Amino acid sequence: MDPADMHTDGNAIAGLLQEVFVAEFTSMERTCQSCGDQSPAGAHRSYDGAGIVLRCPNCDDVALRIAELPDRLVLELRGAWIVRREG
Amino acid sequence: MERLGPRRAPLTWRVATVAEKRPETSNATTLVLDVPDWPGHLAGQHVDVRLTAEDGYRAERSYSIGSAPEDPRLSLTIERIEEGEVSPYLTDELRDGDQLELRGPIGGYFTWETGDGGPLLLLAGGSGLVPLMAMLRHRAAVTSTVEATVLVSARALDDVLYRDELAALDDDGVTVRYTLTREQPAGWTGWSGRVDTKMLRELGAEHAGVLRVFVCGPTGFVEHVADLLVQLGHDPHTIKTERFGPTGG
Repeated sequence: MDPADMHTDGNAIAGLLQEVFVAEFTSMERTCQSCGDQSPAGAHRSYDGAGIVLRCPNCDDVALRIAELPDRLVLELRGAWIVRREG
Repeated sequence: MERLGPRRAPLTWRVATVAEKRPETSNATTLVLDVPDWPGHLAGQHVDVRLTAEDGYRAERSYSIGSAPEDPRLSLTIERIEEGEVSPYLTDELRDGDQLELRGPIGGYFTWETGDGGPLLLLAGGSGLVPLMAMLRHRAAVTSTVEATVLVSARALDDVLYRDELAALDDDGVTVRYTLTREQPAGWTGWSGRVDTKMLRELGAEHAGVLRVFVCGPTGFVEHVADLLVQLGHDPHTIKTERFGPTGG
């Protein structure tokens, strides 16, 4: 497989993350702790391995890690995320 | 950026019923679904579909919604991935009246409403056309006059989804162009090969900052096209992208 096809983006994990946040995930704005870039979650690149890693679209630094284990879900967020939820 | 309405509903699994199955190409099928209490959606959003085997094993995939928000039924176009876990079941086994579990609508970044304005530049690789078609159907359903230009990249003409519908839209303020990457029919007058800068310029893509740009398709296609757009002067933050990856279909 073409190495360029090895990742997707934040849209691909939006259902799972909406379970966590209740709020819509892909339009959440994040400011990167490394490069200062501000982009919505949907624009971040997503790498699927032992868990999922979301990376900054500008500098590739880690933005989010999530692992679904049999008895729990573990989420690590990096950078400044703004979560907006209605209601 | 804040959009109320469809997104307020909690994300719950619902049981949808297949109302109609429509073959689109030799390896893509549209499922038209009745979804009780569907909260409505925006063009560009997707759903998660979940299949549960008798032994409890579950497989989940995301599929873009192809129908307009105005359509009373939800439609998904499924590309059959050979050796896939989910898509062959959906395209081959599922019958009218069968049920399947889905949740949605999901997403808010890769969406478009006529109120967002245009002109639209929609760039589709293969089945990446599905969410962009929802945008075009939404535009048509509300008789919007927003200018729209569509480039569809496919391996061969027979692989192009919604060809007749796209041809009809072509007479309705939508410019539709094709590039065929592997096989061109005799007398083909459209483009051939990978999307390049010349094609994008002809589509008016050099008007960075004016256009609302959506790119959807396999990851390699999206990265390539987005790179070309940036070279043409587009700010990466203004290019909305959605990638289909190696999900195992």
